[in-house]
Amino acid sequence: MGAQIDFTPALLFAQSANVLVQRLVFNTLTRYDDQLRPQPELASSWEVAPDGLSVRLKLREDVTFHSGRRFTADDVVFAVKNLQNPVRSAQLRSTALTVTDFRRNGDFDLTLVLAHPVSNLFDLFEFMIIADPASVEDAVAGTRLIGTGPFTFTDRKPGSSLSFARNEKYWNPGRPYLDGVEIKVIPQAETLLSSLKTGQTHLSYAVRGKDVATLRSDRRFRITQYDTGSGAFYIGANLAYPEVQDRRVRQAIAWAIDRDRLVEQALGGYATVSAVPWPKSSPAYREQDAAHYRHDPAKARELLKEAGVGQLSLPLAHSAEAGSAAVAQVLQYDLKQVGIDVQLQPVDSPTMQKQLIAQSMPALWTLSHGFAQLHPATLAVSAYPFNEAKNTSRFSSPAYTDVVQRAWNRADSDSPAAKALYQQVTDVLLEEQFIIDLAIAGLVEVAGERARGATLNKFGYLNLDDAYLAG
Amino acid sequence: MRSFLLKRLPSGLVVLLAASFAVFLMLRLIPGDPATTLAGPDASPAAIAAIRARLGLDEPLAAQYLHWLGQVLTGDLGPSYAIGGQVSGLIGDGIAATAQLTLAALLLVVVLAVPVALLGASAGRRPWAGALRALTTGALAVPPFVTGVLLVGVFAVSLRLLPAGGYASLGDAPDLAVQYLALPALCLALPSAAILARYLQDGLERALAEDYVRTATALGVSRRRILWRHALPNALPSAVTVLGLQVGQLVAGAVVVERIFAWPGLGQLVEQGVQRRDYPVVQDLLLLVVAGYVTVQLLTDLAYSWLDPRVRAL
Repeated sequence: MGAQIDFTPALLFAQSANVLVQRLVFNTLTRYDDQLRPQPELASSWEVAPDGLSVRLKLREDVTFHSGRRFTADDVVFAVKNLQNPVRSAQLRSTALTVTDFRRNGDFDLTLVLAHPVSNLFDLFEFMIIADPASVEDAVAGTRLIGTGPFTFTDRKPGSSLSFARNEKYWNPGRPYLDGVEIKVIPQAETLLSSLKTGQTHLSYAVRGKDVATLRSDRRFRITQYDTGSGAFYIGANLAYPEVQDRRVRQAIAWAIDRDRLVEQALGGYATVSAVPWPKSSPAYREQDAAHYRHDPAKARELLKEAGVGQLSLPLAHSAEAGSAAVAQVLQYDLKQVGIDVQLQPVDSPTMQKQLIAQSMPALWTLSHGFAQLHPATLAVSAYPFNEAKNTSRFSSPAYTDVVQRAWNRADSDSPAAKALYQQVTDVLLEEQFIIDLAIAGLVEVAGERARGATLNKFGYLNLDDAYLAG
Repeated sequence: MRSFLLKRLPSGLVVLLAASFAVFLMLRLIPGDPATTLAGPDASPAAIAAIRARLGLDEPLAAQYLHWLGQVLTGDLGPSYAIGGQVSGLIGDGIAATAQLTLAALLLVVVLAVPVALLGASAGRRPWAGALRALTTGALAVPPFVTGVLLVGVFAVSLRLLPAGGYASLGDAPDLAVQYLALPALCLALPSAAILARYLQDGLERALAEDYVRTATALGVSRRRILWRHALPNALPSAVTVLGLQVGQLVAGAVVVERIFAWPGLGQLVEQGVQRRDYPVVQDLLLLVVAGYVTVQLLTDLAYSWLDPRVRAL
């Protein structure tokens, strides 16, 4: 299969742009189905205490690591502690930190004790890969990956390829079907496309939107869009700048953008227009919220007038990659129509990340965020742009903090009371617009005519347990 | 000779030390740092701080610089921050891949340029002489990123004869390696082959205009024999000089070609290193380049001193 970005070993325990390796070599405790209901994987069953302060896990007893050692409850204890370590940079660290104690009831029975109830515990179980503790330092150095997954890691040529062989002792009977997997790193978009067309690679999740559009009518390819919510495009506003401190200005920007045109012209049609971060599978999703801000330049001008703003000139930072430049240009045009003159500032990825975290973005920026595909509280406590405690926009409000904490600190995640809290989070986001959501693009799978059975989990981890090459 | 070397060596070491300082400082001046790149876009400041501490980036710059110099001097370049693996291994693999590509391209330069030059020189005023000129002009004018896409389109996508990109080591799988090498080597070789063909053809034409050729023709020596036995040996020395100069061009051009064909050479390694702010990889690679130049300069000086005793006295 073809990937555009090489594996970054140091990010193995964090969600990164390249998460193809995780579920090939490792397993997670549970995995979500399409309705966000947890299904067994290494945990065969579980029981959350009525007060939400503990969860008892029964683990599979027939699992061995690629090293031959048996998987036990101690490995789960290590996995949680590993994510609690800030060096791992795991986005779900805040959830992992709620685990304050471990009660071992035998080799395959473990109770996790929590500091307070959390609504996104199973997000953690979907996210957390179980690695052999002895190999973790080697794993983050990229030299040795030991898990319990369907494939064993055999070779890595940095910048070129990753190779995996079938795990003959995999716990899932008869799986995997494939004898091995090779991930080829192909940085050039055109070459990646050519490798698919020539059958040199059978599968890719890195084809650009506009290239996917050219493959739509080609019968040799099957295109599947995953609701991983991995790429929700947004405009961020840095409230340190007086020009965007008035929420009416931010709302005007939200009304000014023609999201349909953005999706068609810049994203190749492979995204869903949305004014909220949640994809359709989220319990927080409501159609009327997604359509809250439509393209209405007159309303945008009216709001700007109300805010006492005539002509406005603002910088807009965007990633230097071609796809992001296309998004930024569409935004620039739309904002110009309502009297906001935008100067585009292409920034390379490391610089942008530093500015994001240091809260030093210019007045406006455009990027994509993840984590909305999970339980809604995860977004507001684990994704930095939305983090209620500290975020890139420098937005803070007691009301936002209160509603986020209440949504997170509860054991149930699907009850009417929980959904009412999610709605309150959405209402704050729609009103405040420190993050102006534009469109949600899931991962797009381009599969050659022979590739069958590949799936992704909610974090985009590639699952090839059932994959095979037809004919 | 030894005293000459002792006189020259300190200046080389000073250049290396200055270069190491410049490289180290330059990387720190680029916005963004390895910790934020490693932490990812949704990372918390606490995670970044922990990564900075693990990588030693929270130490004073002077301490970081001395630590790196120590690593270079002991030959233990340490691990890469982001790419993974040991820096020495990454650089070694990169050199092997780039050398494989450059040598294959060099071979193709000769294989393509010599016949074209011979054909051109023997064409005289025939109509296809112009076509050959146009061909070499085209190969010279079209940049590799265009040639690369065209080659992939024709040979990989349409004809399905060769892979669109990828890499195999000649040592591990020679048959596969040749297939993977063909298109990038051709793409890299074309401009240099065009230059060499032009030089060689001019040399041949000049040689063919010499009196001894006219005499040989009058004596009934065949045109082919004159071309191969008399003109070519006379035209080759200047062409070989041009070929030597093209080696540098090929190495530089490999950076672009490696990206088009997903070839994991030094160009790709530098690009990845810079993009991910992998300080050890970029620092060591740039210092290696400087060391290469210093060594070549030193060897050149030594050669001069060996050839000309007056230089030794300087």
